Amino acid sequence: MLDAFVQGLLVVLQWQTFLVMLLGIVLGFWVGLLPGLGGSTTLALMLPFIYKMTPVEAFAFLLGMHSVVSTTGDITSVLFGVPGEGTTAATILDGHAMAKKGEAGRALGAALMSSLVGALVGAFALALAIPVVRPLVLTFGAPELFMLAVVGIAFISSLSGQGGRALLRGFLAGLLGLLIALVGQDPQAGVQRFTFSQLYLWGGLDLIPVLVGLFAVPEIVDLAVRGTSIAGELPQGNLGKGAWEGVKDTFRHFWLTIRCSLIGTFIGIIPGLGGGVAQWIAYGHAVQAARDSKEREGFGKGDVRGVLGPGAANNSKEGGALIPTIAFGVPGSSAMAILLGAFFLQGLAPGPDMLDKHLTLTFSMVWTMVIANIITVATSFFFLNQLAKLTLVRGAVLIPFILFLAFIGSYTSNNHLGDLIVFLFFGFLGYFMIRCNWPRAPLVLGFVLGKIAENNFYISTIRYGSSWLLRPVVLILVLLTLIVIVYPAIRLGKRRSAPSEKTA
Amino acid sequence: MKQLKTKLWILACVLFVIGTPFLALGASYYEGKTLTIVVGYKPGGGYDRYARLLAKYLPKHLPGNPTVVIQNMPGANSIIGANHIYSVAKPDGLTIGTFNNALATAQLTKVEGVKFDLTKFAWLGSLASDAVIMALRSDLPYKTVDDMRKAKEIVIGTTGPGSSTHDFPSILKEFTGLNFKLVPGYSSSADVMLAIERKEVDGRAGSYDSIKPFIDRGLVRPVIRNRISAPGIEKLPVDEELTKDPKGRAIMAVNAAPTKIYRPYVAPPGTPADVVKILRSAFVSVTKDTEFLAEAKKSKMTIDYALPEEALKVVREVLNQPPEMAQEIGKYIKFGE
Amino acid sequence: MKSVFNLRFLLALAVAIIAGYALYASLYWPFRTALFPRVIGVPLLALSLVEMLLCLVSAEKAREGHAVDFEMTMDVDPLVARKRTLAIFSWTLGFMALILLFGFTLAVPLFVFLYLKLAGKEGWVLSLSMTALSWLTMEGLFNRLLHLPFPEGWLFSLWT
Repeated sequence: MLDAFVQGLLVVLQWQTFLVMLLGIVLGFWVGLLPGLGGSTTLALMLPFIYKMTPVEAFAFLLGMHSVVSTTGDITSVLFGVPGEGTTAATILDGHAMAKKGEAGRALGAALMSSLVGALVGAFALALAIPVVRPLVLTFGAPELFMLAVVGIAFISSLSGQGGRALLRGFLAGLLGLLIALVGQDPQAGVQRFTFSQLYLWGGLDLIPVLVGLFAVPEIVDLAVRGTSIAGELPQGNLGKGAWEGVKDTFRHFWLTIRCSLIGTFIGIIPGLGGGVAQWIAYGHAVQAARDSKEREGFGKGDVRGVLGPGAANNSKEGGALIPTIAFGVPGSSAMAILLGAFFLQGLAPGPDMLDKHLTLTFSMVWTMVIANIITVATSFFFLNQLAKLTLVRGAVLIPFILFLAFIGSYTSNNHLGDLIVFLFFGFLGYFMIRCNWPRAPLVLGFVLGKIAENNFYISTIRYGSSWLLRPVVLILVLLTLIVIVYPAIRLGKRRSAPSEKTA
Repeated sequence: MKQLKTKLWILACVLFVIGTPFLALGASYYEGKTLTIVVGYKPGGGYDRYARLLAKYLPKHLPGNPTVVIQNMPGANSIIGANHIYSVAKPDGLTIGTFNNALATAQLTKVEGVKFDLTKFAWLGSLASDAVIMALRSDLPYKTVDDMRKAKEIVIGTTGPGSSTHDFPSILKEFTGLNFKLVPGYSSSADVMLAIERKEVDGRAGSYDSIKPFIDRGLVRPVIRNRISAPGIEKLPVDEELTKDPKGRAIMAVNAAPTKIYRPYVAPPGTPADVVKILRSAFVSVTKDTEFLAEAKKSKMTIDYALPEEALKVVREVLNQPPEMAQEIGKYIKFGE
Repeated sequence: MKSVFNLRFLLALAVAIIAGYALYASLYWPFRTALFPRVIGVPLLALSLVEMLLCLVSAEKAREGHAVDFEMTMDVDPLVARKRTLAIFSWTLGFMALILLFGFTLAVPLFVFLYLKLAGKEGWVLSLSMTALSWLTMEGLFNRLLHLPFPEGWLFSLWT
């Protein structure tokens, strides 16, 4: 195995492969940056081009492109408050807030560095997990998936904010998100739920128009209201701490970054959870790292940890998602589903063979992800501080572009006017939620987890009756749920008792 | 003599006048133009891949060598795309489309939202046919249908009503007495395969093409097929033979029929006949193009071209079912995403 | 303050109505289809009614605690803020109207130009160059390269 590990690296460093990977990186850079150019769509568009390449080159190209997308997507999220990719929306909450405080450079530095750490963790997890991946994935059946969704939903309590009223609104948002997730055709009886006879709604609401509406519109309104540049009124237009500070932040909160990377990797490994989930759970976990209620409330307003968590998770999850794709032929995310097409195009069959006969190829994929991210982050750093200067541009000049990107970004979801209507609807909703002090993160969490929870619940009950409740992993996850719900309260309790001890 | 010569001249002129547009049309109709293929699904799926492969090779076979591009119009299991090709796309030969083969059943059972009439499209043929099969995990002891009948319960994972993963076993369960327990809710057929590996479910139904890699890998074993045959599964018992109920047989036949035209291509209704002719001959020749076939084979896409007349025949077969039959079919074959 | 308080009440009311509708719709569905909507709808309805009540009874913003989310800027004079908010919403809806009337490819540069000139009061050079840039992106990237299907504007389909 060590042999293949080294071979994998050498093979990627060959000049043809390297060149083709660089091409992929350049492509991926722009795809991630522009909302509306989805990573999955572009992957699909690139498939015809790999026909004449060798397997190593083909995957260096595709993965070079794909692994970079989550990194540069964070840039758009931070700078403009528009999600560059569906997986980079959580970075908006604190990243864009930091930009508004004039700390865009720092936020970008933090986002990119944590993306790199996440990508590395994901890649190493992929490498290390190879011997154990099959039993690991096989243990997580529908009951465990349901419980994972429940754990995710439990994070709503962390994402709500302090105080009973905030908790009430958090739950309202979460439940609303869960309800919205149910729009579409129900897989149990084939009944159309909440579709109002619209063909567009048969498949349910798509994540991107919802996210773009929910997050971009309130930011645009805020920008218009303030009448200034994104960075606001700053003394002498000084952009405060720059990208380097963000890098230092990543290492100041190193263990948080690592933990969020692991969360992302894990969620990526389990097929069925989808890409939108990892960043929000990582965000929820980062919020839990707050030591008191005041810090908690700082989240969503520019706490760098709110950037580190999702930044790391949305990259590490790609490494994780590669695992079930290679080992089982079951895609861990929608982009992976397309990558599977690439496997077939190359005449490869994902499955045990990839971990055996084609181990070198598998390792070359790991190395591609590592090298591609290193290159991207390194090159981006050169002009991060320049990019940050965009936040000094007059709001009125930026608004038409941001709106343009938001509209087109939503439209490319289904190439249907319905996308725009969904975008506008959630734009209004997002605005009113902000005005009325309702947190949006729980709504997103409910929305991404709703179908997973429902479908797996029914699979579990139809298949196992009620015995699934007693499965060992399920019980562990129940415990985890309780911990997630109770943890913030415990932390607060500890903090309160500590000072009183000091004064006593 | 002079009269004959004049007549011949007139004949020649007439022929010239009538014939030239055909020639000219043939030669330059697509010159400098773009042909758009509307795909009723998102990029990356089966229909999309076939369309992109077609887009790569079709220009050579169209006079004037136009650019061929793909436009994805997903939604409602390609009903949105089909509606678009039917009423919105201009019938000038510059737009053609592909959609779900099962739309015939959707039209028959009067699914809400269907705004097209499949018989009115200008059919261009179908690139492939596909069999639908039922496959069980290899380590299970059931090798024949009789073994299966003895089983207390066979768990079949599905993605929900409206897909072949669900409809095929549900019809089998109803009419052949096999003890299937259907577990719907999996997000994709690939997830069902994983569930099979996990021993969460015992088997899955679906298109032979998509299950084949797993058969080759040894994970599952095909046990029943529908009336469309394919190399490798000819000897399998056919679903219609497993039931004596004529209603059941009819429903299975209607369910199976569209898979013969698994990758249908049409032009909007009202496209001029001579343009349709050009398109049709282009399809015939591209499906004989050796490079096209080689790349298709490498990408594991089977090509089994069905002529437009055959495709239309299949469609009419489904649509000509009497209303009571349509109602019965509607009970078992729900149309969905 | 009073207007904000009314807004909170209205949002909670809207959510309560949505929950109520969901529960009503679920009455006609088979058990499994209806289960989750009901399990979610009932607490949603209950909690939104609680929120509505709290909005009516106690109007103290200070005691509410903050959500883990950003808050609209308070630095700007509320009347100006309201005017600007209405303006930006009108522009956004106007953009949508432009897309419907003229089709995406024309609507984008049109909107960019109109906004920069009318709302931004920017100079001609800037406005025209931004308009050109946006048109290039639309036509070059989304139209020529990606071939996205853009429906024809209503104005054009009326004419042809």
